[in-house]
Amino acid sequence: MTQFFIQTSWLVPIYGFLGAVLALPWSVGLVRQTGPRPAAYLNILTTLLTLVHGSLIFRGIWNVGTQEVVYTWLQAADLKLSFTFELSVLNVGFLELIAGLSLLAQIYALGYLEKDWALARFFSLMGFFEGAMSGIVLSGSLFVSYFLLEMLTLSTYMLVGFWYAQPLVVTAARDAFLTKRIGDVLLLMGVVSLSAFAGDLNFNHLYEWVKSANLSPLTAALLGLALIAGPVGKCAQFPLHLWLDEAMEGPNPASIMRNSVVVACGAYVLIKLQPIVILSPVALSVLVAIGVITSVGASLVAIAQIDMKRTLSYSTSAYLGLVFIAVGTEWPGVALIILFTHAVAKALIFMSVGSVILTTNNQNLTELGGLGSRMPATTFAYGVGSLGMTGLLPLGCFWGLRLGIDFLWKDYPWLVGIFLLVNALTALNLVRIFRLVFLGEPQAKTYCTPEVSWPMALPMISLSVFTLLLPAVMYKLLLLPPWRYINPVAMALLIASGIMGALIGSKISLQKTWSRPVQKPFRLLQDLLAYDFYTEKLYRFTVVFAVGSLARLSSWFDRHIVDGAVNLVGFASLFGGESLKYSISGQSQGYLLTIVIGVSLLSLLMTWSMW
Amino acid sequence: MNIADLPWLSIVIFFPLLAALFIPFFPYEEGKVEQEKTAYRLRWYALIVGLIDFVLIVIAFYYNYDFSNPGMQLVESYTWVPQLDLKWSVGADGLSMPLILLTGFITTLAILASWPVTLKPRLFYFLMLAMYAGQLGVFAVQDMLLFFLMWELELIPVYLLLSIWGGKRRLYAATKFILYTAGGSLFILVAALAMAFYGDTITFDMSALMAKDYPLKLQLLLYSAFLIAYAVKLPIFPLHTWLPDAHGEATAPVHMLLAGILLKMGGYALIRMNVEMLPEAHAYFAPILVIFGVINIIYAALTSWAQRNLKRKIAYSSISHMGFVIIGIASFTNLGLSGAVLQMVSHGLIGASLFFLVGATYDRTHTLILSEMGGVGKKMPKIFAMFTTCSLASLALPGMSGFVAELMVFVGFATSDAYSSTFKLLIVILMAVGVILTPIYLLSMLREIFYGPENKELVEHEALIDAEPREVFIIACLLIPIIGFGFYPKLLTQVYDAKTVALTSRLREEAIELADTSSPTGALAAIQPFKAPSLSP
Repeated sequence: MTQFFIQTSWLVPIYGFLGAVLALPWSVGLVRQTGPRPAAYLNILTTLLTLVHGSLIFRGIWNVGTQEVVYTWLQAADLKLSFTFELSVLNVGFLELIAGLSLLAQIYALGYLEKDWALARFFSLMGFFEGAMSGIVLSGSLFVSYFLLEMLTLSTYMLVGFWYAQPLVVTAARDAFLTKRIGDVLLLMGVVSLSAFAGDLNFNHLYEWVKSANLSPLTAALLGLALIAGPVGKCAQFPLHLWLDEAMEGPNPASIMRNSVVVACGAYVLIKLQPIVILSPVALSVLVAIGVITSVGASLVAIAQIDMKRTLSYSTSAYLGLVFIAVGTEWPGVALIILFTHAVAKALIFMSVGSVILTTNNQNLTELGGLGSRMPATTFAYGVGSLGMTGLLPLGCFWGLRLGIDFLWKDYPWLVGIFLLVNALTALNLVRIFRLVFLGEPQAKTYCTPEVSWPMALPMISLSVFTLLLPAVMYKLLLLPPWRYINPVAMALLIASGIMGALIGSKISLQKTWSRPVQKPFRLLQDLLAYDFYTEKLYRFTVVFAVGSLARLSSWFDRHIVDGAVNLVGFASLFGGESLKYSISGQSQGYLLTIVIGVSLLSLLMTWSMW
Repeated sequence: MNIADLPWLSIVIFFPLLAALFIPFFPYEEGKVEQEKTAYRLRWYALIVGLIDFVLIVIAFYYNYDFSNPGMQLVESYTWVPQLDLKWSVGADGLSMPLILLTGFITTLAILASWPVTLKPRLFYFLMLAMYAGQLGVFAVQDMLLFFLMWELELIPVYLLLSIWGGKRRLYAATKFILYTAGGSLFILVAALAMAFYGDTITFDMSALMAKDYPLKLQLLLYSAFLIAYAVKLPIFPLHTWLPDAHGEATAPVHMLLAGILLKMGGYALIRMNVEMLPEAHAYFAPILVIFGVINIIYAALTSWAQRNLKRKIAYSSISHMGFVIIGIASFTNLGLSGAVLQMVSHGLIGASLFFLVGATYDRTHTLILSEMGGVGKKMPKIFAMFTTCSLASLALPGMSGFVAELMVFVGFATSDAYSSTFKLLIVILMAVGVILTPIYLLSMLREIFYGPENKELVEHEALIDAEPREVFIIACLLIPIIGFGFYPKLLTQVYDAKTVALTSRLREEAIELADTSSPTGALAAIQPFKAPSLSP
């Protein structure tokens, strides 16, 4: 029986895509009588199938060990590409996380998008999203992973552009696609060169090849950089980080997925690529550098945001930055645990934020307040999520961060500082949001705010309970270290940093009506952070401007030089004909003159060599 | 009579031509209603003829075509002008067979796409059917002189279709098109005559011409002549400027044919004549082709971004995509050549679908200027969805045929042992830049047409109705193979694999021989990147 579930594991990503296809009749408007709901139920059903099938596989391989399933795809000439699935405890565990969160997010969406006319289209896209993600975690081949990363890019584009008539969505969807695509194409270059070097793109084969690989440092560095470019785009890391906060224009249930598991998928591919990236020390240092810049920068930028979703999306970038540091310092285990625990906590926070947005129709932090007593479930969920995300109480992320600090303790003490700093800043920001949204006096927009309906409350509460139970689950899965390995100093530092952050967050003055500092340096600092270090402007004035001018230049060149030359030929022949017609004058002396000139020119030419 | 003995290809070529001869007999009537009735009958007549011919093509290949045979199949040869040794000889091999199928497919869909045409329907459908025959002929004939005739034959309908049914500047565009291509095809004639009269026997038969052993200098000359002719058609920078004008003025069905099939003639002939008949010269010219290919990709992509006219934008995107064909041809690997053929078919489908959608959008908005559109996605969700899908196919999203083709060219070129690794690295990076530029202009285009708040001016003045079933059907027909080849490219590659393998191995043998015997000859060899590719046996 177990064997049967493993053999049919290729079905797991198919379920999601199947749901997407099944919902099509409703999303294109072929079926109208029933309303869009059946499409939603179908997708929830297929997600449930993924979850159940995944758990059966999980139980099957828990004892048997890792299994590999291979299907050949393209065998053109010397290029051989196959679909390979690797069923390891880790992969299937992540699959379960994705399927579980996707299920919760979809039930949540039933409530969140209740009155949206395109509900079926949304569920189609979610099914597509989920299928691509399940494929990525199970895939045992770099090519398949690349393929599905692109599918993920596509579905992000579609989901961000879901409300395509909104003004900000217009650029957000395009930017999300473009930024990710830049990373993807660079990754493709890496994939192409790897296939040229190694001949096969299965991860296991590549790992074998790495042992005997003999590349020049430059080639190795280029290869490593190309390989990490894809995840940099996917995980919204500096310098390709702008899309994630713009992507917050999309519907919230998709943001739940995007901030938890979608970014994790990019990092997951990076973790799988790590044994290849180590070929180049340069690439590893770049990974660490990107991680440090993003985690510190994004944590700071998050504090200055007043949009509730955007500030949290920056915090996602920050945590993924920690993952990059972990991969760059060759501790993939740390990266995995941070990914796992962050996904759960962040999904919960985003559910709670979605409830606030739906009830108040507002996501501006300065216009909210006093929701704590009015929306208890939402408040509870936010609190649990925040605790799960920071290293304060021994909930999810605490263990991830602790592990990171433990491992980096000896070799990279300064990176420990980064971990602590990010933890403190995150705690500060989460407390700040909590005070602005849930505490204080009710504002104009928050007087009439009932708790959300059960399709949203149920997943929120379930995930809260799961977050609280996460340490127990991790214990069961043998992810927690035994007591004797615990470094008490590190643990104390982590908790201290969390408390520090929370304390500062609870003490700073938060003016709602006038949140601009009076002193000039502070104002400049606030602007700098609020506008994300002006990165967008910087891009607009450098890269975008350069490409735009080049495009205009080439267009001008095409129209005036290349086409101008063509038109000149046309004009010259017309002009020549027009002027030659005057030689037909009917006067014989004119003809005679022409003949004489012609003959003398000819004889001149013929006798040229005798002169 | 045995089904295999029928002259299938001749039947397939002449059927639309003969059917077109009946069109003048459709009664001419006064009055608007009667005229519309005639137009209605005419388009069904043309569509059924197109469909029958397509079915005949499929039957012919289904019964008589063997995938594993790299040689000519379905060969027919009848003496026509014995004094000139001119024969009516046709045949199909792995190169022409997919393109013949593509021609039948796209032309039939183009006829279906010409439903809104009401001006002079008789002439229009007559020309469409004549085009059908001419295009099939170009891909099927196996005689140089005949090839030239067919090449010219297909120009005249295009000229008329452009100059009568086109946009505002149609006469300029049509004249430019005919002068460009007719000028280019002169070189074909000259080179063909030179090849025919070289040696002891006078012959125009392609296989006989291939067997002749030309001296290197003559090869280089012939190669450049052919290259000019086909560079106009493909097109290759700087001979491309007819294309944005012609594409910018043509109506949707003509557009589909121009992008879907006519550009492929250039690529086909480049492989058929330059590569197959003049392999030694190809070894010299290949690096130049690669450089032109990269220029095509980047230059056209950049120019496309700056275009404000929708049709011109897509036209430049076509030029950009044809760059991959050129690089694939010059890669000296089977994978690259295979990718080039796949890219031709794939772009035929994608280009046709995009141009059809541009036409459909124009029918509704009555403007092609992007800044005059905006926010029409709400009124036309189906067109929005189809446009998005086809744009994604064009920007080489995995799972669509364009991705497989471009990936094959990439890998083929990257693994080619004919070039130095610095050169390869440079070209691959530049190609990647091109691939990044593609979504920039395509997504910006989608944004300007469909996204954002509705453009009041447009919504008030134009009736923006959503796609009708006929339009959805056409796009569905094009998308099925696009996605099919994207997910399972073997469907298509197995058709021509035998041919490309044989061709590549022949090419490599010639190149190796060349490297052995005469290393630094020719003026081009002096410049480093233009050095003849050196292959080790």
